Amino acid sequence: MEPLSIIVRTICDIFAWFLAVFGAYVIIHGHLSPGGGFQGGAVVATFMALLLVSHGGKKLLSFVKPGLYSWAETTGLLLFIGTGFAGLTTAFFYNFLAGEGGLFGAVVPLGANSGILNSSGTIAVMNMAVGLEVIGGLSLIILYMFKGIRLYDDTGREETGHDR
Amino acid sequence: MKKSVLFLIALLVVVGTLWGALDGIHPFGEVDKAPMDDYYIENAQRERNVNNLVTSVVFDYRGFDTLGEAAVLFTAVCSVLAVFRKGGYD
Amino acid sequence: MNGLAHTAVLAAIVVAGFFAVWFRDLLSSVVSLGVFSLLLSLEFYILKAPDVAIAEAGIGAGLTTAIYIIALRGCNVLRKGGGGGRK
Repeated sequence: MEPLSIIVRTICDIFAWFLAVFGAYVIIHGHLSPGGGFQGGAVVATFMALLLVSHGGKKLLSFVKPGLYSWAETTGLLLFIGTGFAGLTTAFFYNFLAGEGGLFGAVVPLGANSGILNSSGTIAVMNMAVGLEVIGGLSLIILYMFKGIRLYDDTGREETGHDR
Repeated sequence: MKKSVLFLIALLVVVGTLWGALDGIHPFGEVDKAPMDDYYIENAQRERNVNNLVTSVVFDYRGFDTLGEAAVLFTAVCSVLAVFRKGGYD
Repeated sequence: MNGLAHTAVLAAIVVAGFFAVWFRDLLSSVVSLGVFSLLLSLEFYILKAPDVAIAEAGIGAGLTTAIYIIALRGCNVLRKGGGGGRK
């Protein structure tokens, strides 16, 4: 698959990194600002889609490891379910970290949004877990849908091999 | 000829049903109030120490729904990988 | 002022949806669908649902457009050189 023109490639090279950083911001600040794990993960997964559309698969698939994304997805799902089971002494999905001090345990004052990042207990952990899972899942869908289609070059011959 | 008559009857039925349903909707911009909303707004910040109420509902009060959503995404990824894998029966 | 912006965004959504159906060139149609999704996320933001707006902008305008373009490439509709489509 041939890459797109140099204008598209340059713009996608620059803006993909901003999108990744913005998605990480949306995930980490999920309990303070609008957004959360699913939204931020979708924004970060756009990184892979932009690079794949602009550069083509020949350049990108040579150094992208799908095992990393598979690891991210399974780790995110296991962390999410594990955090749900960790509060099982009281109830399933009980927020056992909130307001206890320590990790994500700060007490927020009532009223307007005070912007304390170290608050909200297991909600922040679950945000990061779901974000990790969505990053892995949507990137895997894009990558495997691209690897699964058949591509033909100009002479009508099918492009084969791993690094097409 | 007969087809168009049937189509007109079906169109009238659908439009009449939708019109009757639209009549019962509350006006735009004025939401229905439920006691659960007031409970979330009053108590979420004190109980769970969180500033974003939407996230507190999604991940804490209704965390089981989010578990189902994560399972749906995992199933979708598994099915895509099963369809587009290498080799197979071809 | 808010009502004016609301009406303008709704009219632009209708125009973008019309062009998504009207174009014969498939790449232009897909780009018009991406514009549709972006305007829809703006509409969600005007209606004070920023969570849904972020999700719509990420999935509707980003991932779905990319999947459509990959599918067009798989159907050999696009030619090399990053140009326009082929009828």
